[in-house]
Amino acid sequence: MHKVTYIEAITEALREEMERDDKLFMMGEDIGLYGGVFKATKGLQKQFGEMRVLDTPLSESLIAGASIGATLVGLKAVPEIQFADFITPAMDQIIQQAAKLRYRSGGSYRVPVVFRVCCGGGIGGGLYHSQSNEAWFVDQPGLKVVAPATPYDAKGLLKAAIRDNNPIIYFEHKKLYRSLKQDIPDDDYIVPIGKADRKLEGETLSIITYGLPVNYALEAAKELAKENIKVEVIDLRTLLPIDKDMILESVKKTGRALIVHEANKTGGVGGEIAAIIAEEAFDYLDAPVTRVAGPDVPAMPFSPPMEEFFMVSPKKIADAARKLAAY
Amino acid sequence: MEVTTIDTILDKEKLKDLYYHLVLTRTLDEETRKLFKQARFAGTYFSAVGQEATTVVPSFLLDNDDVVAPSHRELGANIGKGVPPKVIMAQIYARKTSPDKGKSHPCHYGYAPLNVITPASTVAGQIVLGTGAALGFRLLNKKNVVISFFGDGATSRGCFHEALNFAGVHKLPIVFICQNNLWAESVPLKLQTALTDLSDRAKAYGFPGVSIDGNDVMEVLKTSKEALDKARNGGGPTFIECKTYRWYGHSEIDPADYRPPEEVEYWKSRDPIPRFEQLLIEQKIITEEEKKAAYSKAKQDVDEAVAYAENSPFPQAEEALEDLYYEGE
Repeated sequence: MHKVTYIEAITEALREEMERDDKLFMMGEDIGLYGGVFKATKGLQKQFGEMRVLDTPLSESLIAGASIGATLVGLKAVPEIQFADFITPAMDQIIQQAAKLRYRSGGSYRVPVVFRVCCGGGIGGGLYHSQSNEAWFVDQPGLKVVAPATPYDAKGLLKAAIRDNNPIIYFEHKKLYRSLKQDIPDDDYIVPIGKADRKLEGETLSIITYGLPVNYALEAAKELAKENIKVEVIDLRTLLPIDKDMILESVKKTGRALIVHEANKTGGVGGEIAAIIAEEAFDYLDAPVTRVAGPDVPAMPFSPPMEEFFMVSPKKIADAARKLAAY
Repeated sequence: MEVTTIDTILDKEKLKDLYYHLVLTRTLDEETRKLFKQARFAGTYFSAVGQEATTVVPSFLLDNDDVVAPSHRELGANIGKGVPPKVIMAQIYARKTSPDKGKSHPCHYGYAPLNVITPASTVAGQIVLGTGAALGFRLLNKKNVVISFFGDGATSRGCFHEALNFAGVHKLPIVFICQNNLWAESVPLKLQTALTDLSDRAKAYGFPGVSIDGNDVMEVLKTSKEALDKARNGGGPTFIECKTYRWYGHSEIDPADYRPPEEVEYWKSRDPIPRFEQLLIEQKIITEEEKKAAYSKAKQDVDEAVAYAENSPFPQAEEALEDLYYEGE
């Protein structure tokens, strides 16, 4: 075992997979010499060369589309989208090409591309360096979407994604990069895609979440335990395909579901989870399905009080859990 | 363009074969228009009659491992690359035997065994994929090339710029072939660009751009051969603007009445296939009899392809749920 931060876990996964497969390459803005704006690719260009760790122009459509195109002649790609906020120019390539190429070609092609997307706020990033737009991709069959919450999962999910042979959006939360440290195995391991993780067992209610708020839910659970509210925390880890079995198993046990995500509420992933519960566990519910999510504003505002207002927090989660437990 | 002996670029047998591919493309296209009018298949049909030289000729020069990144309406690129007519017809008919198993709209031809990437309808998106394939060849140290085919309309999109800019930076092994048929569906060139020659766009990307008569088979042949050889040997991309014309509407449901009739007549008089035929006959590469035989063989090949498509089953409805993800290692 060795202790790593979330971002170190990402760098380790990239390095090990690049060593393991010489057909793997990466491209993105500032990822080469500079090592990425958050240093996720630090040292990789020196080790693997300028073409396998390729600095690109400011061209997200190119980053996405050329990654896809390169896989059609036998490569695998793990491009970086520097900020989730900047992914919009790449949407055409991700949605119309990556997600649909296999389908529209009757299975003739596969698209082994992992789009590493730096998402999330709470770090003073403002409107255009804080967005959580995972719902845009969860809406698109043909893609897979993952969002790790811990260093262990960050490494294991990235490795699994790179080996998966399908287009995957990998959301890494920038507030987690250096705020968490965890012991992870020295040996190679993966975290399977499509499997949620029960981070905490409990009987009173189920908190279903992913990414940064998993950690907030665990914090809230400690407080709530003192009040004899025993929270179960389900970390989805993969948003598409979602682990329905674990969601339903947990909600059928507790009868209460609290869904938490940082993205704004309307049209968010939480609505889909609520619908799954309503469709398949209705008879087990003792209380309305509840959501804690960002407010419905265009993006995360910059000024600190407003940023704090936008972000989910252990307190917001605990408050909602208390209400739900008392229902 | 001055041509004294035309078999210096391709030998006589290859020229005959190229001629046959042009005739086959024209025949299949015109026959399929008739089939559409008889409601023999669903959707619509995107004819490329008039533009054959611009696609058949460059694709004909490629090796099997070279990649074609086409748009829709790229019948000629497929036939030039060697895609069998029955595969093309099964695609138009949306049958299970199509490479896409009935998933894609007619004329979105792709064929993985010959590295023709199945296109999306989002114009110009495929240029980026082609550029990525060229990057892939560079990373793999392969001597293969890519042709990216698109129309004048595609050159107005942002992803066109992103792709060509990047191809220039890395001198990628790709040839960009623009079929400027003067109309982006119903919008004339003068409302698309302030340029007269679209090849001027290449200046911004640091590689050569040329504008040629896309209805002159020999000019397309000479220009694309030079560009492909250059790309294959590390010389980087070329942008070739082929000035050409589609005889019919954007699709068969478009009467194309936005175009002046005299413009259509002018371009029909510049039909690339009779011009090439005349040259082949003058240079004694084919005879009048061989010309007739080419058309009757093409008709026979197309009839067989139609029979194959019409006798092929439709996919089962539930097959809509297949081919989302690759499940293997």
